[in-house]
Parts: sequence; structure tokens; C-alpha cells
Amino acid sequence: MAAPMVSIQDLVVDASTSRGTAHLLRGVSLDIGRGRILGVVGESGSGKSTLASAMLRLLPPNISRLSGQIRLDGLDLVALAPAEMEAIRGRRVAMIFQDPMTALNPLFTVGLQLIDVLRRREPGLRRADELKQAEAMLATVGIPDPRLRLAAYPHQLSGGMRQRVMIAMALMAQPDLLLADEPTTALDATVEAQIVELFDELRQRFSGSIVFISHHLGLVAELCDDLCVMYGGVIVESGPVTEVLARPRHPYTRALLDCEIDDDASGRLASIPGDVPDPLTVLTGCVFAPRCPHAAPRCLQGQPPLMELEPGRRAACIRADEVLP
Amino acid sequence: MFANETARYLASRLVTTVLIVFGAMLMLFALTTLVPGDPARTLLGPQATPELAQRFIAAMGLDQPVHIRLWRFFSALATGDLGVDVVSGRPVWTMIRDVLPYTLILTFASLAVAVAAGVPLGIYAATHRGSWMDSGLAFISVAFIAMPSFVVAIFLLLIFAIWLDWLPVLGASRSGEFWDEFKRMILPTAAIAIGWAGYFARLMRSSMLEVMGEPYIRTARAYGIAERLVTYKYALKNACIPAIALLGFGIGRVLGNAVFIEVVFARPGIGRLIYEGISTRNYPVVQGAVLVMVVLVVLVNLAVDLSYSAIDPRIRRDGAAR
Repeated sequence: MAAPMVSIQDLVVDASTSRGTAHLLRGVSLDIGRGRILGVVGESGSGKSTLASAMLRLLPPNISRLSGQIRLDGLDLVALAPAEMEAIRGRRVAMIFQDPMTALNPLFTVGLQLIDVLRRREPGLRRADELKQAEAMLATVGIPDPRLRLAAYPHQLSGGMRQRVMIAMALMAQPDLLLADEPTTALDATVEAQIVELFDELRQRFSGSIVFISHHLGLVAELCDDLCVMYGGVIVESGPVTEVLARPRHPYTRALLDCEIDDDASGRLASIPGDVPDPLTVLTGCVFAPRCPHAAPRCLQGQPPLMELEPGRRAACIRADEVLP
Repeated sequence: MFANETARYLASRLVTTVLIVFGAMLMLFALTTLVPGDPARTLLGPQATPELAQRFIAAMGLDQPVHIRLWRFFSALATGDLGVDVVSGRPVWTMIRDVLPYTLILTFASLAVAVAAGVPLGIYAATHRGSWMDSGLAFISVAFIAMPSFVVAIFLLLIFAIWLDWLPVLGASRSGEFWDEFKRMILPTAAIAIGWAGYFARLMRSSMLEVMGEPYIRTARAYGIAERLVTYKYALKNACIPAIALLGFGIGRVLGNAVFIEVVFARPGIGRLIYEGISTRNYPVVQGAVLVMVVLVVLVNLAVDLSYSAIDPRIRRDGAAR
């Protein structure tokens, strides 16, 4: 098997807050295959956005610790100097943000913002060629009248169109790794469906790997090859998306799936009893144990590692073989 | 599409401008009727005979009923006639025209200096947040803001004109020669500019810090746009908007407060004209000069609002300032 595009080893991210040290990522290890789409799901606060920000090294200023490895094609991003990291951003790694309303600069035209990204990859192009490329990219992401839209300001476009512009910007960078942090959460349901469709089309022509962060399991099922479930700053389960959803091996994944199913049946939002773990606490047992219906005394003796249960399937549960075979 | 929107925006702004000037004129007119103090007595002195006072009142039109005076006042203004100085008989407009350039040059020069110093310092403080330069600038800025400009003016005079004897003490150039007038402008300009530079530095710092935390700045960084470009292109344009608002406000304030500096430095100017007009109840002079001042301030604010819409495309669409 070919080496993965991204290999993350024991990634720890802590932040200092007024209440103490928050453990945002508590030792995350993860591989992202070449050309694959990895879906990352989890409740808010599970660390999925922190994981994406860490891959770009764009963490908030209150971060007190960043340790472990993030290897992009063998290159450890954690160890890079800031200037070296700047060279990676927008060329080898690009990101699409959650809220397209605020992610684009309101005072500059769409064309200018796209061209500034293009110049990172191809400096010294003639103006006419730059415009032509930007226009072609807007057409690729399904924006009508792309030539006209180049001169538009973000506020003149709808939310869906702005997110298409963000996607165009990401594709302009031709990255090896594309991070999409809940790219449809801020959009209406119908627009969301269109953007998902666009992602589905793009995966045909895009050769890099994609990380698609979402709290929507159905969407991930539709779009992704692999799935990684996060909870309380920990990856609790990973594997091919169809297998994980058909037969989860971690009680948290099971509970998430039950929520989705209950949603469809009664129309009421089902939820998992209990609260998400406080990032300030230091883990002494399994992160999910306080909410887990299968918790046993030995579950409280430490956070279990992410174990390979069968080829390609991993879960961080010491009772996986007993309770979810 | 845009031309039409811009035209509508301009039209609505023009209507407001006219209304403000009209309101100011009404208040100026009320001044002559409501303010206590008999102009005849103030100007002619206690020895004036009642007949003389009577003639004087009649000459000023003060014996007419209010509606007649109101009509005369507005019809004269409509033809551009600001009346005559009741003491010297000189046309008020000529008097204003003679001193206005001094005030305008002083105002624009001092604010230009304030912007040229304050804006870069504010950007520096924001990009070096928490450094000793940042803390030092914060201290100095607040100290300069807190000091009234006439106090600064007196200290500047003491230091540079009297102790060091580097610059002329008082007045405007009589010869009108450029270098002479330039040297005489330095201290008054500095006296006003110092406090405003502090304002601009503080405002630019907080505005830059706020903008640097916006998601679109994060986007620019996520795409590896060089930090220099992020700061001076993507962030600065956004951060400038509050500074332009302060500039508009500043021009109005400096024009209005020019009198302090003009008195301390014994310079001619519209502030001094108004001050002297008030102390002698020379109503036509006060009315004319204040009116010119109001029109200036309103025009400056109009220009500021127009420059907003040049910078921020969202304002063009909304048709009104946000």
C-alpha cells in the first residue's frame, strides 16, 4: 500500500484559558490516504476544527502546546519554521471555512482575492492570463457569468455563491490536501445539497486528498471514502465510511448513528444522555465512559489507545469485541 | 447600475446638507433676538446718547418686527450677502475671505501631520502588540490626548520660541513670504497635531487589532498570503474606515476650536473673527463667520461620507452610511 498523503502521530494541542489548561487534542493519530476523502465527524468541541487548524498551523494565539507530528508526504509540519509553513499554505494545503459570509474580505473583489491566491502558485503571469484562469475556475465551481462575477464584491453574492468562490479559491491553489471545515453548515438546506453535489463532482477532477469536517453523518456517508469519529479531543473510531456506518465498533459511533436514525423516525432530535467532556479535565479513564451504556470498572483505568481491530478498522474501546463485535 | 445608486445616494446627502445649513441659519438668526445684551450699548459705550443708539439700532434693522428681519436675513443670504461689520462698515464676506485661508491651512496641515504620525504608529503598535514600544506609545498617546491643545501651545512657545529661540513667537507672516510663514506655522500646527496624532494612533491600533482577528484575515493567512500583504493590503483598508470617520470629526473640531490656537499664537483666523465678533456683539460678523464654518464642516462631512463609499462597496448598495 502506498504511503499515506498525511500521517498524524500523537498530536496534542493545549490552550491556556482563564480557567486553566484546555486539552483540545489529546493525542490524535491518523492517516489520510492519497486522493481519498476523509470525513471527520463529532459534536462541537470534539476537536475537529482544531485538528484542521493544526494541519495548517493556524491555531489561535492562546495555544500553549503543539506536539506530535503531522507528516505531509513525509514533511513534518509541526517542526517547520513559520516562514516555511507560510510556503506550504495556499500551495500544498488549502482550507475552506465554515462561514462564507465572513471568510471573504468585504472590501476587495472576488477576482482580486482569487488572483492573489493564484499568484502564490504562478507568480509573474500576465494580467489577462490571471483573469482568464480565475474566470475559468469560477466556471468550474458552477458560478454563472464568471467574467462578471470577478468584479463583484462578496456582499453582492449569495451565501452559496460565496462558498463556491471559497471552493474556487481552494482549487486555485491546487493543493495536495484540501481541508473543508463544515463548509455547508452555514448554508440553507437546498444550497447545502448543491454544494455537496459540487464536492461530489470535484472529487473526480481533484487529485489531492480532502478532509471534510462535518457534524452531519448522512452528508459524510454520501461524500467520503473514510470516516474518523472524534469525541472530547480523541479519535474514537476510524475506518472506511461504509463499514463504520454499517457496523460501528465504538459505543459513541453507535450512539451517534442512533441519534440520526431517531431523527428520521419521530422527527424529534434524539440526543446522547450526559454532557460532552470538559476540555479542562485530565483524562483518568475512557473519555466516553461517563456517557457510555457499556462502561465497566476497567473502562475507568485509562483512555484506551486507537486499536486496529481488523484490517482498516480502528476503535478506542477496550470492550469493542464484547459489546460491538 | 452603480451610477444610478451613486446618484441617488448623492441626492439624499445633498438634501441633508441643505437642511443642516438651513437649521444653522435659523439658529444664527435667533441669536440676534434671544441673546441678552444690547448691541448698541456694547458698541457705542455708556456715553452714547439715546438718539445715537436709536439710529444705530435702525441701521442694523433691529427695530423691525421679527418676521421682517427673518425675511431680510434670508433674502440677503440667498444673494450671498453676509451684511457689513457694524463697526467698520466693511463687508463681512471680505473679512472672512481675508482670514479663512489661515484657518483652513492650519486645520488641514495639523490634521495631515496627525494622520501622518498617528496612523503608522497605530499600525506599528497593533503589529507589535505587547512590546515595550506598544506600551510606551499607549502612555504617550493618552497623555497627548488628555492635554488641551492651548496648554500644549503655551509649552511649545516656551520651549521652542523663547528658551531655544529656534522659531518665531507669534503671528502670521506680514511679508507673505513662504519660508517665513512656514516657520510661523510650525508651532501652531504642532500644538493641534500632537493630541490628534494620539487619537489616530489609539484608534488605528484598536481598529487594526479588531480587523486582524476577522475571519477573512484568517483566510488570507490560510492561503499563505505574505504577512506584509495581509497587514498592509487586506487589513489596512478595512481598518482605515474608522480613521476616516475620526478625520471627518477632527476637521470639524479643529475648525471649531481654532480660536484657542489663534488667540495663543496671535494669528488671524476665522475662530478669532468669531471670538471678537461675540465679545463686541457684532452680530453680522458672528453670523457670517459661523455660517461659513457650518457650511465648511458640512461639506467636509459630505466628502468623508463619499470617501467611505469609495472604500467600502457595501455602503454604495445600502444607499446610506452604516
